[in-house]
Amino acid sequence: MSALTEARLRAILAWVVIVLVGGPIAGAVLLGAVHGDSPCILCWGQRTSMVLIALVGLFVLRHGPRPRYLGMVVLLGVFGQYMALRHSGLHLARDIGQGFSAPILGAHTYSWSWFVHVTVLAVVGVLLLFLREVAATGAGREPKRVDRFAFAFFLVVVGANALQAFISTGPPPFMGQSDPVRLSLNPRHWVWSMEELTSPARISLRGSWTVPRPEVTAAAADPDPAHGPLANLPALAVTGWERIDAPLEGALRGFTRDSATGRYLAVTEGYGVYLLDSTRSRVLHRVVLDQGFSIDLAPLTGAAFLGGDTLAFVSTNKSWVLLRPDPAADAGEMWRRFRKTDGGVTELGRGRFATVRARQQYVLSLAFDPAAQELITVSVPSPRHRRLVVSRFARADRMLASEFPLRLPEGLALAGPERLLAEYVVTGAAVADGRLYAISAAYSTLLVVDLRDRALRAAYAVPGLRRPVGVAVRGSQLLIAQADGRIVTLGRPAP
Amino acid sequence: MEFLNFLLILWAAWLVWRRPERERLAFQLLVISCLLTALLFFVGARGSIVPGVNL
Repeated sequence: MSALTEARLRAILAWVVIVLVGGPIAGAVLLGAVHGDSPCILCWGQRTSMVLIALVGLFVLRHGPRPRYLGMVVLLGVFGQYMALRHSGLHLARDIGQGFSAPILGAHTYSWSWFVHVTVLAVVGVLLLFLREVAATGAGREPKRVDRFAFAFFLVVVGANALQAFISTGPPPFMGQSDPVRLSLNPRHWVWSMEELTSPARISLRGSWTVPRPEVTAAAADPDPAHGPLANLPALAVTGWERIDAPLEGALRGFTRDSATGRYLAVTEGYGVYLLDSTRSRVLHRVVLDQGFSIDLAPLTGAAFLGGDTLAFVSTNKSWVLLRPDPAADAGEMWRRFRKTDGGVTELGRGRFATVRARQQYVLSLAFDPAAQELITVSVPSPRHRRLVVSRFARADRMLASEFPLRLPEGLALAGPERLLAEYVVTGAAVADGRLYAISAAYSTLLVVDLRDRALRAAYAVPGLRRPVGVAVRGSQLLIAQADGRIVTLGRPAP
Repeated sequence: MEFLNFLLILWAAWLVWRRPERERLAFQLLVISCLLTALLFFVGARGSIVPGVNL
């Protein structure tokens, strides 16, 4: 293996700088000049990073490969990749072809920035691998012809970038924008702004994208119906208290009842799933799911009977599991999926619900509409997403069938102009006679939704509830289960 | 601010080429420019280190 002499290194490096400046950096200016393409504030960061890497190359051409130059180019390469991934992360999960700015060879410019920074680090690594050890020198080396060309080319291209930056972002203190207008040489169309500073920029992992855990939201909710966003709600009288007598491990997280057989399903913390008899005193089947197999199920929060013997469960992140009692369950196969099992249950599959309006929102409830053969969830509002969305998924393929946000109906009034329906935190739901009965842990309120009209029809205060986690229908009664295993019985409101 | 950043970069490049004895100042300009780039990026990212994606 022949070592790379310093003279050869300089020759190669000069061309690396020329290619970097003439490719992505000059190309970006050309996109602006020819197509009017303007970089957003994040694009400017990525482009500047590439310019700075080229500048470090000029330092090496003039002063040799000093350690601090190498350190700087590695830092720039790493931070440039971070910027590219952070920026691309806004768009990578969008639908096909969607993004920001013009694509080049099918990839948007912010994606190309990642490729450029990776290539830079790879090139630096290869050069260092073959570089013969050289002594650091204090004096600058006399630039050769190709070096001088690299310097001059750099100044011209970066000067053009500076001109574009002046037009697009303005002199200090103005700065780049999230949604810049197209580049124009007509000053009337120049937009100089500091709108990026209007939002508080406190650095944190997710910033304004932070969504609190729904269990915490529900546990911290005010249970007093009188403090809720809806004014003057009628109260539903509690007709009795019952409880789950079968031994359950851990607090209850979900609860439902099968109208056809009278059996119950209970979900507990620790991924316990219980099929109970109609008296809730005997466990017919019990499994503990392996929450880490294939799909993250942390934590389970709702259950529903899908007719026949099929049982459905959902976790707060909208992942689902289907189970079925099966005396011929394959013990070897089920070992992958269950941490514990009585041997009489087969898992049919697990997957993830995808929502549109309820995207980036957790759920704490699951219901099944037998008439439409659809599973239903209700989103948990957060400070970032202040909406209560009912999402429906086809049983056949578990894909989104429809969605609608709950709206305030005529006849119900908010307690104040600043109040929102999205203050309710639905922790349990059930369907009967075309109505969705959803219990909110916040303000202990039962919401009645007409599934045909997609509208909130009525709301009732249920005083005395503590941490409701599930709703079940038993004839003319509603059963609302609490985390402690106690069950409130109510008369079901007339349709 | 991006315009200012490019002026700093041009100044540093000019020093490296035409005033190599001012290498220390040029490198300081490089460091300042890097910090300004990072600062502007986090302003644009509204302070969130990662966007609204799953980690």
